[in-house]
Amino acid sequence: MVKKNLIFVGLLVFTFFISAPASAQAVRGVTDTEILIGQWGPQTGPAAPWGAVARGTDLLVKIINEEGGIHGRKLKYFLRDDSYMPAKTKAIAKEFVEQIGVFAVVGGVGVATGMTARDYLMENKVPWFSPVTGVYEWIHPIQKHLFAMYPLYDDEAFNLTGYLYEKLGFKKIAMFYQNDDYGKQGVMGVERYLLKHKIKLVEKVSAEVTDRDLSTHALKLKNSGAEAVIMWTMPTHAALILAETAKIGFKPQWATSNTLSDSALMMGITRGLWTGMINSNFAELPDSNHPLMVKYREAHKKFAPQERWGVFYYAGMAFAEPFVEGVRRAGRNLTTESWVKAMETMKDFQGIGLPVTYAGLKDRQGGKHVFYGKVKPDGNIERLTEWIKITK
Amino acid sequence: MFGQLIVSGLAVGACYALIAIAMVIIYKTSEVLNFAQGEMAMISTFVAFTLLETHQVPFPYTLALTLLFAILLAIFFEIAFLRQAKDPTVLGLIIITLGFEMVLMGFVGWKWGPDQRALPFPVSNIEAYNFYGLFISKINFWTLIVSLVLMLILFLFFRYTKLGIAMRATQQNQLAARVMGIRTKWIFSFTWALSSMVGAVAGMLIAAMGVLDPPMMMDPLLKGFASGVLGGMTSLPGAALGGALLGVIENLFGGYISLSFKSVVAFAIIVLMLCIKPSGLLAKHYVKKV
Repeated sequence: MVKKNLIFVGLLVFTFFISAPASAQAVRGVTDTEILIGQWGPQTGPAAPWGAVARGTDLLVKIINEEGGIHGRKLKYFLRDDSYMPAKTKAIAKEFVEQIGVFAVVGGVGVATGMTARDYLMENKVPWFSPVTGVYEWIHPIQKHLFAMYPLYDDEAFNLTGYLYEKLGFKKIAMFYQNDDYGKQGVMGVERYLLKHKIKLVEKVSAEVTDRDLSTHALKLKNSGAEAVIMWTMPTHAALILAETAKIGFKPQWATSNTLSDSALMMGITRGLWTGMINSNFAELPDSNHPLMVKYREAHKKFAPQERWGVFYYAGMAFAEPFVEGVRRAGRNLTTESWVKAMETMKDFQGIGLPVTYAGLKDRQGGKHVFYGKVKPDGNIERLTEWIKITK
Repeated sequence: MFGQLIVSGLAVGACYALIAIAMVIIYKTSEVLNFAQGEMAMISTFVAFTLLETHQVPFPYTLALTLLFAILLAIFFEIAFLRQAKDPTVLGLIIITLGFEMVLMGFVGWKWGPDQRALPFPVSNIEAYNFYGLFISKINFWTLIVSLVLMLILFLFFRYTKLGIAMRATQQNQLAARVMGIRTKWIFSFTWALSSMVGAVAGMLIAAMGVLDPPMMMDPLLKGFASGVLGGMTSLPGAALGGALLGVIENLFGGYISLSFKSVVAFAIIVLMLCIKPSGLLAKHYVKKV
């Protein structure tokens, strides 16, 4: 009996010593040589053009690894296609945490998709840096491990309306938007601005994601007599509405969100109707001489020549740069806590995207700036302003 | 506004009608609903795009080569997948078309990527004809003409040619048709090829009106299906009428009642027709004796 007890106690002690070192080194997704990160993005389906963002992040990872990694660790990047389907996103988030064991999630296009993963990631204390949409859901309520960077649609739309109304003098403004959270937060910003000036939108027209016939939408916009129309939609709808309005001879001043700032793509699919579009931008222009842009363009030729060099693609780098900077500042002793601390003290960090500042646990909206541009007939964008602060 | 809504409705209805006709051709012969119709049209349109944009092939040759591709694709699908099904039920064949649809969608995403493109087309989608203040774009106008001509040709084909009559006979009683000397296997292949050609024409017109990308046929396919149900899944004139009616009803609903619920109209029509007149407006209602 004594012998049996001794064996039992011995096993317990052995188990304790085996398990103790394991929990001490347990920073999920961080080993001596690697840091594991993941991102989902629509590589197929109607939102697939925005999937370039996740592939852009891959290029940044390759550049960093070629330069030797960060504090002796290389980044290992996992990209998963969620087809813009929330159910898939949730499954991917679970795979990231439970099977792969990533240190952090970086980026991720989509509101509805990201929302299915948000609470799960936060419950598991997985750092999530910069969901690639500008909605309040990422910062209300404030979550310790979630850092937003993308400029808020509401503020962006508010300021864009101000630019049209005050700077360019358009008093009759209409809105064409996608009937979901993305489009509605754009409407929110536009109406908030107009309410301040005690005027209303002359027309508000929405489209469903799958709609392909926008002839009625165009007619309603024309009949409103709008001088300027702000659109908050996907690229396909933007192309369709421009063609439909052109057919019936309606040519207002168009303005749009930074989500449609890939002017090369838009000029192509609108057959030139994109000329004159005013849009806000969250990152340097494609032909910018910014030293980082020059460096990234070179790396693009080397590592991903098959990819088109467009805004959506290098947005994947712009929205990952501050995360990487946080990892650098956290030092060799990288833990969730040390990374969060490093991020919370970040002030005016700027790569190729908008400047990023966080202030402790009080403010998780790091990106508060955009600049405006106007599309020229050759498809390039003429920069109209410097970086403007849109979120107070 | 009323007149413009009607004209725009008819214009978009012509596209629905083309898709409906492509579906009806197959349904008339085999009672199979081809859910891969949209993606077959989409991949044919991507082939046209590659010929026009990458290889700079003149449009008439592109059209001919695209139709040839559509024929080969359909025959391949019919022989390689449908014909291989063991003791196939109609439901089983429909499921195979669903699988093929996913294969095609995945293939196009892999081969051409997800970006939207503009299909170079000889008719402008921006310039419009102005009839007494009513605008109809050149592409919409020519879509209407193409649809009407195609409908007329197909109507005459099914009514007056031996092959057309053989196709109808195959649908009504496959065994009897075979006994009468009709090579039903080839009839099926031919049916699929004919349908695929009509679908390819629809795909090219729809891409020329808007943008070319992998999901471009999702909405038109649903509307085409609704048009078929409305007009009658076994009637070509019914499919055409269904397309035109759906286009106009949708536009009037969007213009006067609710734009947000415009896209629901097609679903409502499917449900309503199945409840009130399942055979559709112009098709005869057959009751099978057991």
